Amino acid sequence: MTDDRRDRGVALARAARAGNTLALHQLLDHLTPYIARICTPIALADGPDATQETLLAVFRSLRSLKDPQALYGWVRAIAVREAVRIAQRAARAHPAELADVPERGDPQLAADIDDVLARLSPAHRAVLVLRDVEGLDEEAAAALLGVPAGTAKSRLHRARMSFRKAWSS
Amino acid sequence: MTTHEIDPVQRLRIMAAGVRGARIAEEVLPAPFEEVWAVMADLEGEFGRFQPDMRRVRVLRVAGDRVEALARSKYGFRAHLRGFVRPGWCWLQSRFLVIGMAAAPVPGPGGGTRVALTGGVRVRVPARAPAVVPYGTASELSRAMTRLAERVGDRRTGPAA
Repeated sequence: MTDDRRDRGVALARAARAGNTLALHQLLDHLTPYIARICTPIALADGPDATQETLLAVFRSLRSLKDPQALYGWVRAIAVREAVRIAQRAARAHPAELADVPERGDPQLAADIDDVLARLSPAHRAVLVLRDVEGLDEEAAAALLGVPAGTAKSRLHRARMSFRKAWSS
Repeated sequence: MTTHEIDPVQRLRIMAAGVRGARIAEEVLPAPFEEVWAVMADLEGEFGRFQPDMRRVRVLRVAGDRVEALARSKYGFRAHLRGFVRPGWCWLQSRFLVIGMAAAPVPGPGGGTRVALTGGVRVRVPARAPAVVPYGTASELSRAMTRLAERVGDRRTGPAA
């Protein structure tokens, strides 16, 4: 995200908290694609639901955001939490060990990279999103997800290996 | 609809969640979206007939989805409204008022249109969030919804005798 966009989001949050509902309206437009980009790879088919639930949670508790400068980190944490929760609730997630991902040449593997994603648990997908889309290091991603840093690191490594296999098959 | 687009009624729920004291009136009207939205978005005509306190609205400016209008209440108060109008969506604010309206087609064979209304009198206190006066708001919205349903019905079948 560019500094300009970030500054705009912070300014809108500040104006909204001061009581301006038109700024709140613009903040909704501004945050929706950012939240969808986090929620969709984690919640997959339930991405739109996760995006909506995140926006509801963000708007409901906007007044509790002490420092508008912290807007994006705060929104990101809510988005990840909601996406993981929605994905688990929908029972679409079937946490599987990455060793279960099919071997090279397996017709199922050739089908789609989405298949590999779907075989990861929501929390694993969240590690990928936080690290590779949001640019967080393993420690920060692990802290946000409430798992040990070593676990996040090894899961990320194994997930990347699976992707590599999938793409090169 | 892309994953980034949110159903207008759901969007209204999100906006209302960000406004302290806001209530929502929500109903499914037995008419197609186009007919319902034609009534709701007619700011200079039908809008003043179903919003209980509005007597007359004059649109001053439209630029893209931005709109600016001058409203006069039946008690003579004037409101300079600014906001956004999109298909199925309207959000307006003046110094003292907030008005939010949304409509979305109901999928499935029964059809119809889901409509949601929110808004009220703005509270200007340092509250770290937008706010409206919560008292009486629900009954006002409910009255607006009843009138809106009547206006939509009248346009479909003609006014009741």
